[in-house]
Amino acid sequence: MVVAVPLLNVRESHGLHLRVSSMSLAAEAFVSQMAAAEPWPETAALYQPLKDEQILLSDCASSLAVQAYLRMCGLPVQVVCKANAEFMSPSGKIPFIHVGNQVVSELGPIVQFTKAKGHSLSDGLDDLQRAEMKAYMELVNNRLLTAELYIQWCDDATAAEISRPRYSSPYAWPLCSLLAYQKQWEVRRKMAAIGWGDKSLEQVYEEVSQCCQALSQRLGTQPFFFNKQPTELDALVFGHLFTILTTRLTSTDLAERVKSYSNLLSFCRRIETSYFDGKSS
Amino acid sequence: MGTVHARSLEPLPMQGPDLGVQPDDIEAPRAEPEATQEVLENRDVVVQRVHVDGLGRTKEDFLTYEIKEVFRAKSLIDVMKRSHEARQKLLRLGIFRKVNVVIDTSRGEGALPNGLEVTFHVTELRRVTGSYHTTVGNNEGNMVLGVKLPNLCGRAERLCLQFSFGSRETSYGISLFKPQPGNIQRSLSLNAYKVSGQFPWSSLRETDRGASAELTFPVWKTSQSLKFESVWREVSCLSKTAAFAVRQESGHSLKSALSHSMVLDSRSSTILPKSGALLRVQQELAGFSAGDVSFLKENVELELNKSLIWDTVLSLSLWGGLLLPIGDTTTSICDRFYLGGPTSVRGFSRNSMGPQSGGDYLGGEAFWAGGLHLFSPLPFAHRKRGFMDLFRTHFFLNAGNLCNLNYGEGPTAHLQRLAECVRWSYGLGLVLRLGNIARLELNYCVPMGVQSGDRICDGVQFGAGIRFL
Repeated sequence: MVVAVPLLNVRESHGLHLRVSSMSLAAEAFVSQMAAAEPWPETAALYQPLKDEQILLSDCASSLAVQAYLRMCGLPVQVVCKANAEFMSPSGKIPFIHVGNQVVSELGPIVQFTKAKGHSLSDGLDDLQRAEMKAYMELVNNRLLTAELYIQWCDDATAAEISRPRYSSPYAWPLCSLLAYQKQWEVRRKMAAIGWGDKSLEQVYEEVSQCCQALSQRLGTQPFFFNKQPTELDALVFGHLFTILTTRLTSTDLAERVKSYSNLLSFCRRIETSYFDGKSS
Repeated sequence: MGTVHARSLEPLPMQGPDLGVQPDDIEAPRAEPEATQEVLENRDVVVQRVHVDGLGRTKEDFLTYEIKEVFRAKSLIDVMKRSHEARQKLLRLGIFRKVNVVIDTSRGEGALPNGLEVTFHVTELRRVTGSYHTTVGNNEGNMVLGVKLPNLCGRAERLCLQFSFGSRETSYGISLFKPQPGNIQRSLSLNAYKVSGQFPWSSLRETDRGASAELTFPVWKTSQSLKFESVWREVSCLSKTAAFAVRQESGHSLKSALSHSMVLDSRSSTILPKSGALLRVQQELAGFSAGDVSFLKENVELELNKSLIWDTVLSLSLWGGLLLPIGDTTTSICDRFYLGGPTSVRGFSRNSMGPQSGGDYLGGEAFWAGGLHLFSPLPFAHRKRGFMDLFRTHFFLNAGNLCNLNYGEGPTAHLQRLAECVRWSYGLGLVLRLGNIARLELNYCVPMGVQSGDRICDGVQFGAGIRFL
């Protein structure tokens, strides 16, 4: 598929195939045109499922990544929790932001959207660095996010104890069971399609470890991935790692794997104190 | 009932006439000469046996209720009348294709000299009937397959299955209908369905999957029905440009409701009646046992018709409805009322009145609508029962209002809110009656009292449907 893991040496590979998940060119152009017209309003809102009873690990990570990114850009946004946020979203994925008349979902399109409004974190990067950043973001999406989804829905213990009850909490019986099993079936089908259906939990933890190792190596001792200034990659990595560290699952194996990389731990702590005043939403 | 000839007093086998005649064609029996008339009317007869021939899977005990009245006949004319009524009852069960009656004198052991035997020759419907047709709607086509199994277990149960395969969505439904033996107006009906609909006036798509059980029974002159229904509704936006207020309604919900409806219908016909009245009152209580939505919904429909001079008919109809959320929940877009269109307040686009956001109509929690029509036959068309008789011209005056209520205020505030900003329209048009089920209308409308946000359709408007204001 995409990126060679765990070591990515952009300088040496010429035929690097990047499958960056972004919108089509036409859609991008449309969004840019519409977005550039107005400044960022005060009433911008970010929608996610209910925090205490409903939201799951993967959605929480994605939502936190977007929140971190917007805080890094200095754009105010209010977090609104709705039970049907997943269905309100135009692409079916969490989170999405409602800015003026526009509704944009997922980190990639949101980054494009804010860029069209004149706010960007990756302007200072040259082309090579930007390609590297996109590659690492792909790595996080393809490994970390997929691992989170696997652990939530394909691991029977977690699915039964945590995912299904939480996912179906806003609904009455028997709708709650129907929706939870439907979602589980969908995710398992997707996992089988990308080749993760046969992996065992240990192999998935191994993938997470390898991904963290790559990130840790890239980060080194710098404060952020691209030296002094945070970029969307920092927001994405923070979102996922912080959520993994602070979410209670059936076992602590996942959190332990992340904790073994101390520079990633201090990276998360640093971003939390700088942008979230010590408490993240 | 046709004519019966009797030439002598001897017990000759008498072939009763085929009683397949319409009520309109019933004439009074001709006056026979005195002697023969005495035979027909005054001679006492006793119905000794009633046979039903040609039964396959129908259970005999089920039919006793329909034919038992025949035994009570006292004279020959009475026998013929009761046999005719029994035949109508048997046909109404919906399990026979044909019913023929033969009245004969009694034969064999224990036959009395004035005894009669009545035989019903019936032909049952086939076990399975199917139907297939295609429909074409707004930019999509559907293939509809229907399968009907009448008289499933021998007691007039009916099983219907319907599948609709469309270019965009598929729907299906299955329903089982069981009348009570002896009283076919009482029945139980079980349904399960999946239906998808697209509502462009609200930019939303709704898919309903549900099951219901309905009990229908008559009380005095009204027909009552009690229904318990459970529906899983899935709402999603039809396009990316849907208003955010509609986007907020996307998602899943479960409605579990008990509803009751009462219909009192004394109209002479369902479409374009000449006289009579219709009163329909419907209540629905949702959320009392399970489900995500809880509300109380009331719906009232009244129609009065009166014939005037020159074959014209004056018709007044009134509709009203109220949706009351229970507890501190808000109402869902799937449950609210909509108003406007060629079948309700004419002159306005379909369901395009009342609360809206960004061009998408959200529906209202309370509404009222009224219509006053004057129907008259086409001028210069004097032939009855011709094709032109299916047409009518009509002058109409429609009015209505749809709004949301803040239930913290009192009822007088609500009435005031419904009374201000009334939309109304007037015009004239042509109505075509299709059988006894539907009608088509072509109207020229002038909408008045238009509020900002309403979408109007002034000028020529075409409408087709079953239920019109």
